[in-house]
Amino acid sequence: MLELTGIRKTFNPGTVNEVRALQGVDLTIDEGSFVIVLGMNGSGKSTLLNAVAGSFFVDEGTIRLAGHDVTRWPEHRRARLIGRVFQNPFSGTAPSMSIAENFALATRRGRARGLGWALSGSLMKPLRERIASLRMGLEDRLDNAIGSLSGGQRQALTLLMATWLKPHLLLLDEHTAALDPKSADQVITLTNEVVQRDRLTTLMVTHSMQQAVSLGDRIIMMNRGQVLHDFRGAEKKRLRPEDLIDRFNEVRAREQLDEGAAEMLRANYI
Amino acid sequence: MTLLLGALTIGLILSLLAMGVFISFRIFEMPDITTDGSITLGAAVTAVLLVNGTNPFLATAAGAAGGAVAGAITGVLHTKFKINSLLAGILVMTALYSVNLHVMGRSNVPLMQARTLGSHAEDFGRRLLGTDTVHFLGWPVTASDAALLVFALLAAVVSGVALYLFFRTHVGTAMRATGDNAQMIRALGGNVEGYIVLGLALSNALVALSGSLLAQYQGFADAQMGIGMIVWGLASVIIGEALTGARSLGLTIVGAIMGSILFRLLVAIALRWGLDPNDLKLITAVFVFAALVLPGLIGKLKRKSAFSGPAPR
Repeated sequence: MLELTGIRKTFNPGTVNEVRALQGVDLTIDEGSFVIVLGMNGSGKSTLLNAVAGSFFVDEGTIRLAGHDVTRWPEHRRARLIGRVFQNPFSGTAPSMSIAENFALATRRGRARGLGWALSGSLMKPLRERIASLRMGLEDRLDNAIGSLSGGQRQALTLLMATWLKPHLLLLDEHTAALDPKSADQVITLTNEVVQRDRLTTLMVTHSMQQAVSLGDRIIMMNRGQVLHDFRGAEKKRLRPEDLIDRFNEVRAREQLDEGAAEMLRANYI
Repeated sequence: MTLLLGALTIGLILSLLAMGVFISFRIFEMPDITTDGSITLGAAVTAVLLVNGTNPFLATAAGAAGGAVAGAITGVLHTKFKINSLLAGILVMTALYSVNLHVMGRSNVPLMQARTLGSHAEDFGRRLLGTDTVHFLGWPVTASDAALLVFALLAAVVSGVALYLFFRTHVGTAMRATGDNAQMIRALGGNVEGYIVLGLALSNALVALSGSLLAQYQGFADAQMGIGMIVWGLASVIIGEALTGARSLGLTIVGAIMGSILFRLLVAIALRWGLDPNDLKLITAVFVFAALVLPGLIGKLKRKSAFSGPAPR
């Protein structure tokens, strides 16, 4: 389904700001699996999602998705196969346009946009039903500007928009991190419903250990631009948040040791 | 009365300019100074074709098409070559100055003898009314002036309605979203660069159409006629927003038309009262500056007085 081979990406190469964000990622994700991506800040997990989405081209490696080699496809072309929800609730919707117009845009994701009427009558009925299923009372406010809604509401709508046309791959980039706990719970429940109902192949980045153990069927832990751990099947089911925190502490201890060792080498040899 | 009619007619013709500026300035949030060159380009192309005996409708369409090409070039400079949008506009505007002189062959092309859309409208009006003067609210009005006014109104209304309808289609909605949240529309498969090029082409086509009609109304095209036109357009859009608010697309477009008319009327009145025409552009620029800065300033003052005032209850 999604196949990443030898992905490398360095930002600002050859400068003092050089960041080796991805250092050889190999990853294959089966159709219909729900994969959680964990990692500390700077581990490369968001970069990985952006590489798949096409926000930039990778330096090395190939990306295959749904039978296409999309490595050199621009972002807007990949959108045909990919639905996305961003960390920032303001990123996924056009604030000064109405709820209905935002959904009209989503109904043409990755398709030709002609001179057809955007808010066609045939859109309004299913739109009202789907939005009513959120139980947020938004179905009567379809003409309101989406910018007037709360972050949680906007994130829920963005999720519906991203999955209105069933995507081959759903990318969720810490999409609850900027929300208050109650809204985050609502959005997570909705995420689970949508993903289960349509059996969507999903890649979700999160910082929440609770979300990581309770959702999905596979966990990938990244560190320094590489996949460090890959838990799936029964092993994934047995994981508790404490186990994951232990793994994080291991990584952290090793990093500190690395830095301590480097310090010592510098002190002794330079 | 003639003065009032003339101001109204020019205001309506320049409302196409205002709609073009609305697209670049309000939809894409980029002040596109190509406007100054493309309004002259529209006038120049139309004038030269008319002098050579081309059908006025064709000549007008060719003028608008010239503006579309100019706008598309600005769009390509900005999106493909990553040139700052303001600089891309400046480059194309500067280049257009030479292009316009080449098109016209000299700095001014009079249209006295040529058959223009204006002369067609005048003939049509005289034939329809059957007299040379009509009385409107007790004022004598020549049939040709009335016909020109109606024709300009028609042009403004048709353009406004077409623009509104376009912005409610799939591609028009995506174009509006591009200015609102480019990241979002890219994630939904929209080609942001393509929409910007298309949008600027559309904007400058309207501007050039406005220039083409203006040349046919005033009876000449001139290499200098575009100077400062972007600021006129901005003034019209800003007045329009003050009149109708910017809450909905339709109201904003109606506002741009009304703003253009009102602005032109204010100018006519000011000139009538003895304003030196040389000061016109300075005053327009100061006006736009004030309109851009005052709302924020007033808001700040209000907040300050709210804080320093007595606490409620």
